[in-house]
Amino acid sequence: MSIRSAAMLVASALLVLTGCGSVDERADAAASVATGLLTAVQAQDGADACAAMAPDTIAELEESAGKPCAEAVLDEDLPAPGAVTGSDVYGQWAQVRLTEDTVFLAAFPGGWRVVAAGCTPRAQRPYNCLLQGG
Amino acid sequence: MRRFLRDNSLGLVFGLLFLIVLAGQAFAGHADYNQRLLTEGLEPVSLGRYVTSASFGVDVAENWQSEFLQFFLFIFLTVWLVQKGSPESKSLDKVGRETAEEQKIGEYADEDSPRWARTGGLRTTLFSNSLGLVMGAIFVLSWLAQSIAGVAAYNEEQLADRQDPVSWAQYLREPDFWNRTLQNWQSELLAVASMTILAIYLRQRGSSQSKPVGSPHTATGVES
Repeated sequence: MSIRSAAMLVASALLVLTGCGSVDERADAAASVATGLLTAVQAQDGADACAAMAPDTIAELEESAGKPCAEAVLDEDLPAPGAVTGSDVYGQWAQVRLTEDTVFLAAFPGGWRVVAAGCTPRAQRPYNCLLQGG
Repeated sequence: MRRFLRDNSLGLVFGLLFLIVLAGQAFAGHADYNQRLLTEGLEPVSLGRYVTSASFGVDVAENWQSEFLQFFLFIFLTVWLVQKGSPESKSLDKVGRETAEEQKIGEYADEDSPRWARTGGLRTTLFSNSLGLVMGAIFVLSWLAQSIAGVAAYNEEQLADRQDPVSWAQYLREPDFWNRTLQNWQSELLAVASMTILAIYLRQRGSSQSKPVGSPHTATGVES
């Protein structure tokens, strides 16, 4: 994991754990983790990408791909990290909207983790996501 | 001290029961909330985090608003509506706001009447409607709180289901908001209707909410 990614996750963990971050701060932290995952995938850094993912999402990916997360996540055709156009946080959940993607995250003791990425909207139905947990 | 407790036992006991039950709701709601988080693959949250969450807020506010709506409606409607034989109703011949003399306001105020009942003008008008107005105001604020906490709790579920969050204005048109609202309203209205009707024919000896046991079923506006 790069120093930048580690710092990003630590900052995110502090905000989530203390619960004292404002909604904007929590939304920014979620956006950082979301773009961090897509940036890592673009840089072919599977380990870094998996560090930003929720346990269930990693387990689902490894089970469906039949190989370790760090390899499997690079095969998922996730879009490049575009600009963040919006970010919403409600309780333990966050949604980060980027120009090319929509990412869903959840709060863990270690900070925000991506539960679904590569998501495209469907009318009146949940997003269809390339990468998602259980 | 003992006399104070006895003289105020009704308010004190209900206030204490309220706090105990609210704490019970917090513990039960916390356990329920954490069960949901665990099934979604997330970590449980602390009790402190839960009681400051939208989920707890909406569950509390939706019940509060309906209680205060019930009191607001009951207080205002019983000015004009009566129920023959019910101790919850005033006498059948007193429909309406009643005269200043009957209400002991202005020049008809007693020595020990509240000052605002005696002064006349806006103060007396306000004081004359203060019970209903305060109940109505708490109802509106609680309902507003329900909608604000409700949209946040609803959006938490939306995100958990990989769906877009909605705005506050959109939430006011969502079935979730009206389902929470109306399920509480119907139960409050049933409670008032039941109390009004059942108290015509049934008695509770010694209760301020009942007619004396020997009162006829036709006696209206009679309480112990």
